[in-house]
Amino acid sequence: MKHRSPLLTLAAVAVAFAVMFTVNMLASPPGSSSTGTAPPAAQTTASASPGSQETGTAAASPSPSATKSADDSKFPEKVVYAGRAEDGAGAIAVAVLGTQAAGYFCDGRSVESWFRGTVTGSDISLKSKDGATLQASLDGDHLKGSLRIKNERVRFEIDEAKKPAGLYRARGSQTTIGWIVLEDGSEVGVQRTGQDSTPAPELDPQNPQVTVDGTELDAAPVNGNEDL
Amino acid sequence: MATIPVPAPEAAPAETSGTKIAPVVVAFAIGTAVSIGLGVYGRLHTPTGYAVNISGFSSGPAAKAALASVVMLLAIVQTVTAMAIYGRIRLRGAWLNPVHRWSGRLAILISVPVAVHCLYALGFQAYDGRVIAHSIFGCFLYGAFVFKMLILTRDDSPGWALPLAGGLVLSGLTALWMTAVLYFFFV
Repeated sequence: MKHRSPLLTLAAVAVAFAVMFTVNMLASPPGSSSTGTAPPAAQTTASASPGSQETGTAAASPSPSATKSADDSKFPEKVVYAGRAEDGAGAIAVAVLGTQAAGYFCDGRSVESWFRGTVTGSDISLKSKDGATLQASLDGDHLKGSLRIKNERVRFEIDEAKKPAGLYRARGSQTTIGWIVLEDGSEVGVQRTGQDSTPAPELDPQNPQVTVDGTELDAAPVNGNEDL
Repeated sequence: MATIPVPAPEAAPAETSGTKIAPVVVAFAIGTAVSIGLGVYGRLHTPTGYAVNISGFSSGPAAKAALASVVMLLAIVQTVTAMAIYGRIRLRGAWLNPVHRWSGRLAILISVPVAVHCLYALGFQAYDGRVIAHSIFGCFLYGAFVFKMLILTRDDSPGWALPLAGGLVLSGLTALWMTAVLYFFFV
């Protein structure tokens, strides 16, 4: 004997999945913004207000809401994003101050790179002195993008980091140290002296001082507009 | 010629008392395929980091944690009613079966927005132990669910098949809840 109701349950769950996926796809702002700012704004309009689509009339007037969603996808004046890369390749932090931005990627062992660049709308484009690049754009509350370092592509999607989380840097005559402090309190950092890169010493964000080879170095939060 | 059902021990449990193992194997294979499919999708699809928020909660994760906890409570109802149906606890009544069915349907439906958010916005990730466990169990849960629903369509499955499937679903859900909600609230 066969029963059909479990199959109906399965079908209902499959339909629920399909509906949720469709709603999400309609509602998601486009991930990559290399296409410029206008199309994302238009698509976000269609999605950010599903209620207005139901009423029908509001959807016909895209321009006011397009302006609104463009505002929504602007960076705060001063913000830091930090998080781990996909696949655990390392950690990334990006600090934004106005139209200036700085970034840091490191694996906590030996690979690291400091990036500098500018903010255009909801996009960030950064470069390092040794030729690594970082592209990211604002996606809701997250910063989403990828960086290319030594022909490796590292994708990331990172959240705003509230202090004491964030990006810190200490600079001595020979040594530069970078730390990414994550929301959970963990730290990923690399210390570079000349060509030697080693894991960074532990940093106390409340008392940001470290001793390297007998010299005390002060670490400071990176805001986004400093020379790196 | 009717064969007398011999209570053959472990050697051939499938053939005792007219049960069939083949549909169970097929159901298990389909469930496995669903799990693998979800995992592959979660890995290949670039996570958007964004999904429709469920209003009324302080944040997306809070909404997910609340919904997942409701699912977990319903799963406890599921376990209790299932144990009663199987006579493992003293609880009787005509309401047991409907309550078991509908709490299960409700639970799986409530879990869908949570799972879609995970899959669509976050994807299958492997950056630490908790996350990889959560990703694996998430894919596992829906495969186990499909397995269980398929087992339920037939009366000729071996007696152990349904409790096994139900147990897999419950284990998957518990692991998911512990690797996410417990972590979200207490760690």
